[in-house]
Amino acid sequence: MKAAAIARNTFREATRDRALTGVLVAGVALILATQALGALALGEESRLTVDLGLSAISGFGLLVIVLVGTSLVAKEIERRTIFNLLSRPIGRPAYLLGKWLGLSSALWVVVAVLGLVVWLMLEVRGHGGYGPAVAEAAYLAGLELTVVTGLAVLFSALSTPVLSTLYTVGFYCAGQWSWDLRDFAERAPGALGVTLRVAADLVPNLPIFNMRALAAHGQVTTPFHLGLATLYALVYCGCVLALAAAAFESRDFK
Amino acid sequence: MRTSAAPASGWPTPGRLPDAPDHPPEALAIRTAGLSKSYRHNWTGRIVTGLDELNLEVRLGEVMGYLGPNGAGKTTTLKLLTGLLKPTRGDAWLMGVPIQQVSSRRRIGFLPEQPYFYEYLNGMEYLELAGQLSGLAGQEAHQQARGWLGRVGLGERPRLVLRKYSKGMLQRLGLAAALLHQPDVLILDEPMSGLDPFGRRDVRDLILEQRERGTTVLFSSHILPDVEILCDRVAIILGGRLTRVATVGQLVGASHQQVEIRCTVVPPFAPEPGLVGTVERRDRPHETSFLLHDDTRLGEMLAWLLRVGAQVRAVTPQRATLEELFLATAARADADGHADERRSA
Amino acid sequence: MSAFALTPRATRMATAWAVALALGLAAFLIAAAAPRRLPRPQPLEELSYYPSGRCLEPATLGHAESFADLAWLRAVQYYGEHRRTDMRFARMAHVFDILTTLSPGFLPAYVFGGFALAQEGGDFPHAEALMLKGLERNPSSGELAFQLGFLYYVRPGGRDLRHAAEYFELSTRLPDGPPAARRFAAFARQNAGDLRVAWALWRDVARSSQNRYLREMAEREMRTIERAWAAGHAALARRHLGTPRVIVGGAP
Repeated sequence: MKAAAIARNTFREATRDRALTGVLVAGVALILATQALGALALGEESRLTVDLGLSAISGFGLLVIVLVGTSLVAKEIERRTIFNLLSRPIGRPAYLLGKWLGLSSALWVVVAVLGLVVWLMLEVRGHGGYGPAVAEAAYLAGLELTVVTGLAVLFSALSTPVLSTLYTVGFYCAGQWSWDLRDFAERAPGALGVTLRVAADLVPNLPIFNMRALAAHGQVTTPFHLGLATLYALVYCGCVLALAAAAFESRDFK
Repeated sequence: MRTSAAPASGWPTPGRLPDAPDHPPEALAIRTAGLSKSYRHNWTGRIVTGLDELNLEVRLGEVMGYLGPNGAGKTTTLKLLTGLLKPTRGDAWLMGVPIQQVSSRRRIGFLPEQPYFYEYLNGMEYLELAGQLSGLAGQEAHQQARGWLGRVGLGERPRLVLRKYSKGMLQRLGLAAALLHQPDVLILDEPMSGLDPFGRRDVRDLILEQRERGTTVLFSSHILPDVEILCDRVAIILGGRLTRVATVGQLVGASHQQVEIRCTVVPPFAPEPGLVGTVERRDRPHETSFLLHDDTRLGEMLAWLLRVGAQVRAVTPQRATLEELFLATAARADADGHADERRSA
Repeated sequence: MSAFALTPRATRMATAWAVALALGLAAFLIAAAAPRRLPRPQPLEELSYYPSGRCLEPATLGHAESFADLAWLRAVQYYGEHRRTDMRFARMAHVFDILTTLSPGFLPAYVFGGFALAQEGGDFPHAEALMLKGLERNPSSGELAFQLGFLYYVRPGGRDLRHAAEYFELSTRLPDGPPAARRFAAFARQNAGDLRVAWALWRDVARSSQNRYLREMAEREMRTIERAWAAGHAALARRHLGTPRVIVGGAP
């Protein structure tokens, strides 16, 4: 209930921030611009629209997290607005949960709007058949952003905005490379291999949320994939938020 | 970080307190026992004490002023009570609930020093958020928000974003946010600082209104006239240590009273020999003022002025300023050997 | 309450740590199992054969498809530019290699790359390698098998009918193989009707391809065959077909 109030406020904060509007406008502009490139693509326009559209969803979503998410909690501490919240009967875990829910909701709006634009472009070009593939890929991209938001909340609760940006982007990259890291670990000797293997399993395994290669060819994925990705996103976010709560509990607000 | 395990609930044994409470615990709105806070400097590792062994009791329905110079530990105390800081040692209870429990903050309203707000919200939205976080249901939060926005004089433009609020408007909004869930205990950090006379009067009226309601108020301040009008009792803190708890009368009465007398048409007379040394004369273009250092000799002084044909316009008792009280208290504390414990910032 | 009892805050912290640990373990297990159960966006083993694509791929941060599109645009520009000027396609094989490494399922890239390399670049070995790579990555693509058969059938410098028949037949066994594959497999086996078959194959391309350059290539080949056929110079046409870098309109 109180987490929902925080979430609603965070959603307002994100959606009234000019950064979000800017990102949305830029995303739509990019997707429209790919339509101009399409003339050069020799019949592969729909592919181009799907790929660049889905990449735009992930890329601009990450940008929103960097612009808004990494300072989500840190800014409240810096600007002392947090005094007005935490001096009320609200647990700190509920506060963090609300922050994560609020920004995640804003990101789902970004995903939905850009996904809809991609689908509209395909529909206009007579490739409506890509619809289900785009919808599934956009859903997975949304899950990925939700996980990265969880990390941003964790780092933002522990650190300054600049450092939490670095940490969040670092984990994002490591997460994208996690499967390569695991392959590399198999070839690495002894302790190094084990260490890499553990690291690969600990960073968010973002390739789970990547079906862009399938969507580029208009193919949908399996319900098992969607289910596992959803479960993984929820479990990973829960873990990260619990860590953030544990660390936040002992924090002083001077 | 906590250094000692303390009982999570219940009352500390009276033996731990320097003076036994005069009131049963049930009658206390706020109680602290050995409440201490020290900070470790990030780089030097040096430990500075923000608050040292505070034992404070605020009775139900009482308005208590919490006085001290900058850096004395006033804000530290209030933040400890509201859960924004974690005590290093000691315990505190709000309405009998240990401050470690989230529920201890259910019945309090808090106004931070120079409150900061979400600039992207409007007044209505902010108060609704505050109400919901303090446990009001959605509809009730909405009604209270609407009501309180009007009560603090901001009701005419409920959709104005806070970015466009003036400092005084923000302070009133902060008070409304602290009050709209009808708390039993009100904790205000420097509620009048930076306000113009009108703003101060508004805040004063709100606090008096809450006193009428029976709300317990603990507020920190620098401004003695406000403290005098509002408070039942006053606690003075210096260098992180509570040095004195007294009624306003005791505090003010203990100091020497001065009286200012303003007159027009005063012949350039020398004062009567008996008053020399206790009165200072200041001549200005349109009036002359006398500062009488001993108020017990006011009658004698006035009689002399009338005798020489001066026209007396105003007689104003001059209270000792808070600064003087601080200095006096500090001097006493120095004498007691606590001077070295003053915190640096 | 005992002195050793946890304070409310310590209880909250302990709970948070316990939840984090439990969920972290679950996430760890899912992450460890997921690569075996889910489609891989980009397989590293295959990439390792292609140093350039392999270096590029991790840098795309999971957006290999979009980078493949950029590479596709680059490849098309490269082709168009050099076809207009010097007909030298030295780096084209490399560009198509990177692009198909980034996006192993990008079938049109194999087909266009293969024909552009073979017919215009005079680089049949690279064309063949590109198509074989495509078929290896997309073993169920009847379309790609068909196009590879086609490539062998019209190989500059002499048709490779054995391989052509082999891949046309493979195409008939795969789900999305074109209906014509069976017919062409028979032609290739019989070693008969060379020019008619070649013309029909090119006509299909000219009618169905969305790729303008490929269509132009097909039309040009059709005209060459028609001209030779009309003049009754089957041998000349065969020689044309067998010569790389055929220049349109410039009849010898």
